[in-house]
Amino acid sequence: WLVIAVGLVRAYLAKGSYHSLYYSIEKPLKFFQTGALLEILHCAFGIVPSSVVLTAFQVMSRVFLTWAVTHSVKEVQNEDSVLLFVVAWTITEIIRYSFYTFSLLNHLPYLIKWARYTLFIVLYPMGVSGELLTIYAALPFVRQSGLYSISLPNKYNFSFDYYTFLILVMISYIPIFPQLYFHMLHQRRKVLSHTDEHKKSE
Amino acid sequence: FVSYQVEILDWKTKEQLCFLDKVESNATIREIRLMFHKLYPRWYPARQSIKLDPKGKSLRDEEILQHLPVGTTATLYFKDLGPQIGWTTVFLIEYTGPLFIYFLFYFRMPFVYGLDERFTSSPHPVVNLACICHSFHYIKRLIETVFVHRFSHGTMPLRNIVKNCLYYWGFAAWLAYYINHPLYTPPSYGKKQINFAVIMFLLCEAGNFSIHVALSDLRRNGSKTRKIPYPTKNPFTWLFLFVSCPNYTYEVGTWISFTIMTQCVPVGLFTLLCFIQMTIWAKDKHCTYLREFKDYPSLRMPIIPFLL
Repeated sequence: WLVIAVGLVRAYLAKGSYHSLYYSIEKPLKFFQTGALLEILHCAFGIVPSSVVLTAFQVMSRVFLTWAVTHSVKEVQNEDSVLLFVVAWTITEIIRYSFYTFSLLNHLPYLIKWARYTLFIVLYPMGVSGELLTIYAALPFVRQSGLYSISLPNKYNFSFDYYTFLILVMISYIPIFPQLYFHMLHQRRKVLSHTDEHKKSE
Repeated sequence: FVSYQVEILDWKTKEQLCFLDKVESNATIREIRLMFHKLYPRWYPARQSIKLDPKGKSLRDEEILQHLPVGTTATLYFKDLGPQIGWTTVFLIEYTGPLFIYFLFYFRMPFVYGLDERFTSSPHPVVNLACICHSFHYIKRLIETVFVHRFSHGTMPLRNIVKNCLYYWGFAAWLAYYINHPLYTPPSYGKKQINFAVIMFLLCEAGNFSIHVALSDLRRNGSKTRKIPYPTKNPFTWLFLFVSCPNYTYEVGTWISFTIMTQCVPVGLFTLLCFIQMTIWAKDKHCTYLREFKDYPSLRMPIIPFLL
């Protein structure tokens, strides 16, 4: 993810504008975000104590956006909304993985812990906005090209409208996002106040 | 003859909810539940989880006080299981829904395929056949619920019925939509495919029914103890030689045959989900059998002979 961050900065400096930076980090983004699927397996096999369902949700939504929206609908790749969520994801992941690394080394700087449980307050809505705007931008192109859609009649007696599906995905953010956000806020209160008590007792 | 004292505490707060004096040593948990219900009318017995340990399993109605690992002053813990609904009631609602929902699509109600297609019928005989099979399946299930099944638990939590109905009713609507659609395409291999599917369907339905009857006979005298099911004279029950839960095996077979008959992806998806769910249930049942019976036949697999 640092690779992606550096790539973004370099491209920005080279181009002089923040538009269309997606192309400069397209490959590492796809590689590392898809790699996160392993995190679901880790939970499934019990290597990591987190909930499989929660992790699956988060990773699948990211992978969906990377492949099924941004990669598939080429016309949205120029959108600024893509930069919005890529930046949000990049910062979040750099902090999150640093958190894990330092925790394993038993030397977690308070700054990283604080960053992980505080910056999400801005980064989460930022990422969600970028994601929703990107999906919204993709809609007309999906409608036009009939992407990933199949209509009757056909010998499998099945129909699927990707356009409607994307709209349903956008609507699903309404119940899901607040739950995840408040869960993180709750975690924040728990983790950061725990540290305060620790410090006071020392 | 010793008289017991029983105190019941809330499992979370440990607050004493009731204190029962002079309880007979041969009192059953059922009787204790009834006494508790008298003090707390809104917590009827089916809602009460009474346990020895706050985080432990609920005690069965048949357990006798003096056989429990408690002193003459017994401490039990209570947990509210929430509003309960009887299994029979749940099954009746769950299965009546798909039966009638399918008809809405079969008879092409105006709000389903639009006003132009309202009340028309399909030129394909397989569509009529599918309706007959689907209805037969759910009518059979309703009959079994009323006359055959003997449930070990009386009730389940009320919120389950919303979840279950959404699933059964939703899928019934989804697959009925495609099968009865004006643009439905009949199976690629025509009559051969349909006839094969019908025969498989009938065999699996007969098999499933035979297993349900056999399981019901194990509890003929109203006993709730578990017994190992064995093959009987009915050839369909010989599947017990290879599988712990042949009723689930036959059920999956029924839905596979329905998928072949209609050649419809939503039916296939429903079949897949049924298979996954029933495999989970079968594995659970299989493990329970293995735990309870040391002499459980080792050849048996949970749901698919030799494989799964």
